[in-house]
Amino acid sequence: MSDFHMVVCVKAVPGSTEVKMDPKTNTIVRDGKQAVINPFDASALECALALKDDFIGFGMDVRVTVVSMGIPATESLLRDCIARGADDALLLTDRAFAGADTLATTYALKCGIEALDEDFDLLICGKMAVDGDTAQIGPELAGAFEIPCVTDVSCVQSAGFTTCGSLALVHGCDAGEETVYLEMPCAMTTAKEIGQLRMPSIAGIRAAEETDVRVVSAADVNADPARCGLAGSPTQVVRSFVPDRDQTCKAVEGTASEQAVELAKIIEGMA
Amino acid sequence: MSATIKPFTDEFEEYGRDESRTSGEASSISFPSTEDEVRAILKKLHAERVPVTVQGARTGLAAGAVPHGGHILNTSRMNRYLGLRRDEQGQFLLRVEPGVVLSELRKQLGKKVLPVAGWDQASLKAYDEFQEAPEQFFPTDPTEASACLGGMAACNASGARSYAYGPMRPYITGLHVALVDGDLLELQRGEAFAQGRHLSLVTAADRTLELDLPGYTMPKTKNASGYFVADEMDAIDLFIGACGTLGVITELEIALQAAPAVVWGVSCFFDSEDKAVSFTDSVRPVLSHAAAIEYFDAGALDILRRQREQSTAFASLPALDKEAKVCVYVELDCDDEAQATEELYHLGWVLEFAGGRDDATWVARTEVDRECQRFFRHAVPESVNMLIDERRRTDPTITKLGSDMSVPNARLADVVALYRRTLAESGLESAAWGHIGNNHLHVNILPRDAQDYRRGGELFAQWASEVTAMGGAVSAEHGVGKIKAGFLETMYGHEAMVESARLKFQLDPAGQLGRGNLFSEKFLDELVQKGGA
Repeated sequence: MSDFHMVVCVKAVPGSTEVKMDPKTNTIVRDGKQAVINPFDASALECALALKDDFIGFGMDVRVTVVSMGIPATESLLRDCIARGADDALLLTDRAFAGADTLATTYALKCGIEALDEDFDLLICGKMAVDGDTAQIGPELAGAFEIPCVTDVSCVQSAGFTTCGSLALVHGCDAGEETVYLEMPCAMTTAKEIGQLRMPSIAGIRAAEETDVRVVSAADVNADPARCGLAGSPTQVVRSFVPDRDQTCKAVEGTASEQAVELAKIIEGMA
Repeated sequence: MSATIKPFTDEFEEYGRDESRTSGEASSISFPSTEDEVRAILKKLHAERVPVTVQGARTGLAAGAVPHGGHILNTSRMNRYLGLRRDEQGQFLLRVEPGVVLSELRKQLGKKVLPVAGWDQASLKAYDEFQEAPEQFFPTDPTEASACLGGMAACNASGARSYAYGPMRPYITGLHVALVDGDLLELQRGEAFAQGRHLSLVTAADRTLELDLPGYTMPKTKNASGYFVADEMDAIDLFIGACGTLGVITELEIALQAAPAVVWGVSCFFDSEDKAVSFTDSVRPVLSHAAAIEYFDAGALDILRRQREQSTAFASLPALDKEAKVCVYVELDCDDEAQATEELYHLGWVLEFAGGRDDATWVARTEVDRECQRFFRHAVPESVNMLIDERRRTDPTITKLGSDMSVPNARLADVVALYRRTLAESGLESAAWGHIGNNHLHVNILPRDAQDYRRGGELFAQWASEVTAMGGAVSAEHGVGKIKAGFLETMYGHEAMVESARLKFQLDPAGQLGRGNLFSEKFLDELVQKGGA
């Protein structure tokens, strides 16, 4: 057992903006080609690895576990996370998970995290995924585990951890930014500004090749099939489409006040 | 059908300088958009014996595009894609105008979408095959991707990947060269060869040119110094790397390559320069798929550390470990990930053997990481330019002093020791980076004042002599242009310069083209007065 265990949730997202949709299910087709780690999750992992460096400096034994729900090809992305400094990884992969909305995804991730051999102290997610843009998984997981959650964290200060057992988290809020202090266990979601994910080293890549990524099914983590995938998703996507974008340029002439009146009419017309 | 020759007024001021940070004067300028327009302009200017400086994207570092009086012929508007064919081996050969910009070409090749307007049926058929074929790329990669292909041909550009792919020369399979009187040479690789050191060429106007080539021997290193000459050489090679002194390139045919399936970048850090040199020497024979081996010395890394701290534009640079004094970057071009992994592990063993640590490396296997490494590598020259621009505000007489010399493999440690010893003796501030795999470093002197600038120039002259004695070249990829014209005589000797000038006069009797490039104007004028003899 480690002194401090962090779990980082990551998602494989398409590497390009050209997303293919399944016309029948209206969900994103995930064939694993050119998939990348969701950029916000990459920042979440960097946050965990930076904290790991800090805590090792404090003389602590630290572990970072990466968890994902995805297709089998996601295993290579999890191995890449290990090459960059994570200690181990768990992949939840099963046809039963397909078509999950955020509630069903949260349920699957919770089952997977509960199946780990060690409880976590800190749960870190990217604040949103670039393909779904919901920003719900982190807070939903915190709700599922009944722990506090801070969203949109841009900076973590660990200096006081050894004395008071809490982390200072700077995060975005309606008024701008605020700093909150949280005791463990807790959850947080990260903004990209928190840090760019470090590159793997040759030693890290070797280590990752020699580490088994634990791949589990719904049954392996005792997940209730009725709460997984499409069956467990109350969200029904009626239609997905790429919005039409049209740009036109109109020159507004006249005096400043005439231009202002004309501009107001144009804006009113957009409503 | 003729481009306007305009007076060189203030609105064209920027065309008086290039990326060498030097500037010159001109009396007129034109922006032709077709080969015929170029020929018409040259014909008109030839009648009046007006000097002509050819420009592309003005990204050159040797001042080849900086005018020394007369007319500026800017080819940046000649940017059409003219056609595509496949050779007998199935290689795609793309015809372009000289103003096509490298970054645009890369983008088009990456998307497999080329502008085909006006192409003939044969080209369109080849284009269909191109779209079906594996992704193609053009391997020449100067740091400045906004360079245009005509300018790159004029200086025989290289870049980091020249370690595996060589310079641009072999990828040029066809050239159109407009001559100073408006006549035209249409050259295809493999069709016209020298007899010993004599070339006979027939122009579009059916005129036969009899050219005596200089007798010097080129060094067996990466080299972009002076005219390419060799016994039985292919005629096309004479006009590649000629710095706009023999004619104006109006069309190129370039050979595309199948893009590597897997590209990984590996940054290796060392606590001493000796270890980096030892690593380079050891890793070269071990790696079979290295496309680039690049170096960043302590001065370069220190500049990056400062920039990361002080400038928001560089805040996203990856953090450097305190123990990292110097860096060697290796790029692997492989067929698949298994092959890349095997090469990576070979590299790791050599790294540890040379005194490095495999846990202190950055391996870029994803596009995001590769972009991060690109930013890191390109931030070095960009930062040095910013530093020099800052210093020029207080002393406008200084400018960047960047070397471009190469030596044979066996002399890498010697040349690095030479740079280090003489820089320490001079007390000059410097930063070095570049193509250590080709024994080709860009040592940049960062002058603080005019005295530093003068002493830096003296140091470069000393290096030119010593590098020549090592069997090296005074310019490996930037071309000689104006800035290194003095070093060319150091490298080849006075007689070779006279022979080179005679060759030029056979094509450009009045010495109109590229004045100041390769030869000092005084040297050329004296020869002109003697009738080119």
